[in-house]
Amino acid sequence: MPKNGSVLIIGAGIVGMKAGLMLAGASKKVHLVEKLPIIGGKVIKNEESFPNMECSTCMVAPVQQEVLQNPNIETYTYSDVESLSGSKGCYEVVIRRKARYISLVNCIGCGMCYDPCPVSIPNMWEENLMDMKAVYVPTAGSLPNVPVIDSSKCLHLNGTQECNLCVESCVFDAIDLNDSDEVVTVEVEAVLIASGSGLFDLSALPNLGYGDLSAVYSPLEFERLFASNGPTQGELTLRGSDISPERIAIIHCAGRSEVGYCSTVCCMYSFKFVRFLLHKLPEARIYDLYLDICVPGKSYQNFFTTLGEGSTTMLFTPSLEDVCVTESDSALRISYPDTSGESRELDVDMVILTAAIVPDSDLPELARIAGVELDKFGFIKRTDEGSGSTETTKAGIFAAGTVTGPGDIQRSVIQGESAAGQIMELMSTIDGEKV
Amino acid sequence: MKDKKEKSSNSEFTPKVVGFLCNWCTYAAADLAGGSRLEIPSSFSVVRVMCSSRIDHNLLLTTFFKGADGILVAGCHPGDCHYGEGNYYARRRFAQLKKVMETLDLDPERLELVWVSAAEGNRYAEVVSDFTEKIRKLGPNPMNSSTRF
Amino acid sequence: MKAKVGVYVCECGPNIAGKTDLDEIITYLSEFRGFGDVELVVRKYGFLCSNQGKEYLEKEIRDLGLTHLVVGACSPRDHDSTFKDVCGKTQLNPYLYKIINIREHCTWVIDDMDKATEKAKSYLRAGIARVLYQSELFESPIDVNPDVLVIGGGVAGMEAALALAGENRSVTIVEKNDTLGGRAGKLRGFSFQEFNKPEQVEKLIETILGNPCINVFLDSEVTSVIGFLGNFEIEHVSLESKVITELFCGSIITATGADLYETTEESGFKYSESDDVYNSMEITEMLSSGDEITLRSGKEPETIAIVHCVGREELGYCSGVCCTVMMKTANMIKARYPDIRITQFYRDICLPPSGGQELYAAARSSGVNFVKVQSTGLSGTTVKFKEKNGDEGEQFFDMVLLASALVPSKDTPALSELLGIPVDETGFFQEAHRMTNPSATTTDGVFIVGTSQGPRNISDSMLFARASAGQILTKLLVGEKLVPEVAVTEILEAYCTGCGNCLDVCVYGAIYPDEARGISIVNEAICRGCGNCYGSCPSGALRTKHFTNIQLFREVDEALR
Ligand SMILES: Cc1cc2nc3c(=O)[nH]c(=O)nc-3n(C[C@H](O)[C@H](O)[C@H](O)COP(=O)(O)OP(=O)(O)OC[C@H]3O[C@@H](n4cnc5c(N)ncnc54)[C@H](O)[C@@H]3O)c2cc1C
Ligand SMILES: Cc1cc2nc3c(=O)[nH]c(=O)nc-3n(C[C@H](O)[C@H](O)[C@H](O)COP(=O)(O)OP(=O)(O)OC[C@H]3O[C@@H](n4cnc5c(N)ncnc54)[C@H](O)[C@@H]3O)c2cc1C
Ligand code: SF4
Ligand code: SF4
Ligand code: SF4
Ligand code: SF4
Ligand code: SF4
Ligand code: FES
Repeated sequence: MPKNGSVLIIGAGIVGMKAGLMLAGASKKVHLVEKLPIIGGKVIKNEESFPNMECSTCMVAPVQQEVLQNPNIETYTYSDVESLSGSKGCYEVVIRRKARYISLVNCIGCGMCYDPCPVSIPNMWEENLMDMKAVYVPTAGSLPNVPVIDSSKCLHLNGTQECNLCVESCVFDAIDLNDSDEVVTVEVEAVLIASGSGLFDLSALPNLGYGDLSAVYSPLEFERLFASNGPTQGELTLRGSDISPERIAIIHCAGRSEVGYCSTVCCMYSFKFVRFLLHKLPEARIYDLYLDICVPGKSYQNFFTTLGEGSTTMLFTPSLEDVCVTESDSALRISYPDTSGESRELDVDMVILTAAIVPDSDLPELARIAGVELDKFGFIKRTDEGSGSTETTKAGIFAAGTVTGPGDIQRSVIQGESAAGQIMELMSTIDGEKV
Repeated sequence: MKDKKEKSSNSEFTPKVVGFLCNWCTYAAADLAGGSRLEIPSSFSVVRVMCSSRIDHNLLLTTFFKGADGILVAGCHPGDCHYGEGNYYARRRFAQLKKVMETLDLDPERLELVWVSAAEGNRYAEVVSDFTEKIRKLGPNPMNSSTRF
Repeated sequence: MKAKVGVYVCECGPNIAGKTDLDEIITYLSEFRGFGDVELVVRKYGFLCSNQGKEYLEKEIRDLGLTHLVVGACSPRDHDSTFKDVCGKTQLNPYLYKIINIREHCTWVIDDMDKATEKAKSYLRAGIARVLYQSELFESPIDVNPDVLVIGGGVAGMEAALALAGENRSVTIVEKNDTLGGRAGKLRGFSFQEFNKPEQVEKLIETILGNPCINVFLDSEVTSVIGFLGNFEIEHVSLESKVITELFCGSIITATGADLYETTEESGFKYSESDDVYNSMEITEMLSSGDEITLRSGKEPETIAIVHCVGREELGYCSGVCCTVMMKTANMIKARYPDIRITQFYRDICLPPSGGQELYAAARSSGVNFVKVQSTGLSGTTVKFKEKNGDEGEQFFDMVLLASALVPSKDTPALSELLGIPVDETGFFQEAHRMTNPSATTTDGVFIVGTSQGPRNISDSMLFARASAGQILTKLLVGEKLVPEVAVTEILEAYCTGCGNCLDVCVYGAIYPDEARGISIVNEAICRGCGNCYGSCPSGALRTKHFTNIQLFREVDEALR
């Protein structure tokens, strides 16, 4: 295969988008594959990002726009990589564009099709804190601003009954219920995996009550609860009610000893949550139950110390395994050992667990398809990680961002930029004949 | 200092408000408000600038001279400016301008600087409605057409 | 030539057409006489952003010989570039076009059809009025020099050089020391990561020295930097011979590392040269050289204290490497001297994932004692500490090791001045954007990598270096020109008094004084067109080309009509 100047990027989070734009700017053809109907990744779930408490949408939306408008980037949303074969300099990639049932060309995102749809389903992107229709965009301000139809829930598509309501409501002829998956094969010289990470399954820690007790929240649930474009328009109210919590506890390091590493960003987002809470519920009492405060780097600790006296009560516990959250009357009761090992109790209205960052549940499958090895924690392994390389165990395939392990936006972006550089280097040295 | 205008007869008065919105945050919020079909007073006019720091005394005063009843300048939250520090400069210029307005017998309340992020579509709609309502209560720009240019 | 303005209103299905009386708008605008001697062509179209729509528009611009174009449609954030591209295919300069957002800002937010119609008219009038005052702007590509200057030859600097150097791109490293390798070079036998096996830094240095595309100047410092992205002129001087060398390059990577924090008596650390107190660098150098660990008296120590977080409170940040360094230190000492009793006084155990967790576990299982404290101090080799529960204590040790923080290198302020890049609240170099553009600075083409940007370990330092390489490799392409932002600001020479007010306002340093002519000048290759400087000029000499006062005044006029 002659050099065709193409690159595949899997995952359109901040890393995939940034690296994609850099490579596109250098006249490479970028195939950007995203499994969700929208691009942007996890960062756009956060109203604000530490350490500068910057509006995440403001930070990311211009990047999303640029990606969608860049002529050198072919974005495949709602798509999966089905197979990847070949070797360095010459990979053949099969991409499945799942049927969206809505034309990306014709739809203008007016949203008139949602209301008529009779089916309501939980919105996973919003952490199931609200419902959406079977024809939906995951969130307000989605990019691309084009809905999809959930074929398993749509009455017409799952064969439950005749329904054509959305089609009738769309004056743009954008909806085609006969749409089908499209399989595209592309050839690329290099691959970047930037598919991000997942969160530790908190229900595996029954002592902390997640899943059983409705006032126990995962960090992403809390991010969405706070977001002004989220399920409650940013009202901090407890699940299923319009009552705001008065006492909130943040329990650090949920899952740290289970996974065997410190996720480095959890302390930081905990303190971000304290800020959120102080901002919206200035009267609330906040507690942080912790073992270590890990705030490495030049801007992190300051983020903690500038919270100020009295903003949150820092409760040290030497043994997080012995922390227990149960229901008590109308509230939650946390019992924990204190500094000297004595058992203490704390009643609160809301608990937020800072879950460890873990490999995405899809990653093993993706790694199998790509033929790359995982490290002992299940993240993608890099052969020469010690010198900052992003190359995986398979030559010509690179990995960047939280798919390689926990990290903040800065670290993720840095890895993405490094990968872009390594891909440029590779593409300038591959000998077209040799492959 | 208050405008020397009767306020009771203002219920019919529709204030003309000009909003200078920064391209990166507030303009995006306005788009989001649109996408969510929120109601914006029809007398509010958007003028897009790249950054809130682009506004200067000349631009704002001239806009008043031309007959605007109120001016809203909106940009990224402090620290979020796409160009680093533009909104800090905007804030500084604002403080100075408010003083100038007093000497011109213009109620400084007619000018407001707010930070609205790209995610705050709802807030944008609120801010615009509240400000327009405030100007409605303040009444028309006291510089009558003969003093305008 | 008489202006002929095309005004095209997109129906956007019912989104615009269904919420306004489009025909009335068209009639009204066609008959509107407020723009003087201007010919107006006002039309509507189904979907202008569709392929047919774009073709239609392109044909109209050509066939009618339009001199200006106004598109009434949706947000510029959606489709400004779409229609700009259409203009680009025709005779019409894209800067003589304007998109008017009558969807998000009008029909979607105004329920009343009459009011929406009036609003759309007003916005469209404003667009026409403005576009008549817009001027043609052209891209002016500039030649760029692909070569790179790297200041500092530690692991970060070396890695950047290696990633960049090639047949068509030469790299120059200017290092003030007499060897390459920086801090890691001194730690050869000591490392908490796989990378730094004794021979690895050595190998890296060899590769660098053997690479014909990399020039290394040891014992040298950069003394002068002028220019901008793509075109820098550098002078560096040999500290020994004082010979000055000139150099041209397109980008600069700052990799000047960090220093170690020095304790003070005020912060509670009282000891003298003769005490057996060592900082992390001293002990790790001892360990890596394989020297005996002995007291100044020549005896072997029986007890060693390791004090964490030295300087952390004063500096306001955690260096993120010291805990790991100290785990490794303790383990190495234990391996060689199993009988030495080690106590670590720590505040938090901070082990970002770089294998630190295992070293910690190993230290614990080898019997190292850990005491969690709130604060520490030193009097000779007696450690004073306050425990977590408030109890205060004192304990004598034979030897004390300090996990000292990493601080900005002492050259940082001077380099900041020389390169025109600011430092942040911690004194390290400041990023262009802390999260989304951390290896770049506000000066385009100048990058900060490794520990000069902030404390971190070796592999992350090298990662940063590669990131800057990534930016350079994708931005400064060999043999290709760079197209700077077009809608920038200019200074009108006739009005400028050279007062210099605008100079400080520009965070990008795009404005510079032309002393000979007594005026200031905007370097259009650097300016981003934010318009911040506009308001700083007392003489009205500044003009942000696509956002001039007259353009905005005309928009306001029509909005207020
Ligand atoms: C609760 C929480 C709060 C945080 N707050 C902050 C903060 O305030 N500041 C900060 O700096 N960092 C914060 N972080 C960390 C930050 O979210 C990450 O650093 C960042 O999102 C990493 O970006 P990424 O591109 O690697 O991954 P993601 O943002 O996760 O993007 C990965 C993308 O790949 C897609 N994808 C996944 N699998 C596949 C597949 N098989 N095929 C195709 N596409 C796929 C995903 O849908 C997603 O769009 C926070 C993290 C959490 C959990
Ligand atoms: C005690 C200790 C132990 C450590 N152990 C480990 C470890 O085991 N593993 C690990 O990963 N990390 C470790 N680190 C961190 C590691 O040292 C750094 O991450 C790494 O060395 C940073 O490399 P650098 O290139 O950024 O800076 P440096 O290595 O400091 O290199 C900077 C170079 O720039 C030169 N320079 C400075 N100013 C100028 C100037 N004005 N002009 C020209 N040249 C200049 C210097 O002479 C130097 O050569 C340790 C740190 C300490 C303090
Ligand atoms: S599918 Fe049709 S109705 Fe639905 S958002 Fe798109 S254009 Fe509007
Ligand atoms: S066809 Fe399906 S998606 Fe459309 S309205 Fe009916 S159920 Fe909803
Ligand atoms: S890395 Fe450890 S010793 Fe260093 S400052 Fe952070 S917590 Fe303290
Ligand atoms: S417009 Fe902005 S970037 Fe350009 S010179 Fe003025 S302040 Fe600097
Ligand atoms: S502020 Fe105006 S007059 Fe002064 S140097 Fe700048 S452009 Fe010239
Ligand atoms: S870019 Fe929004 S205020 Fe500067």
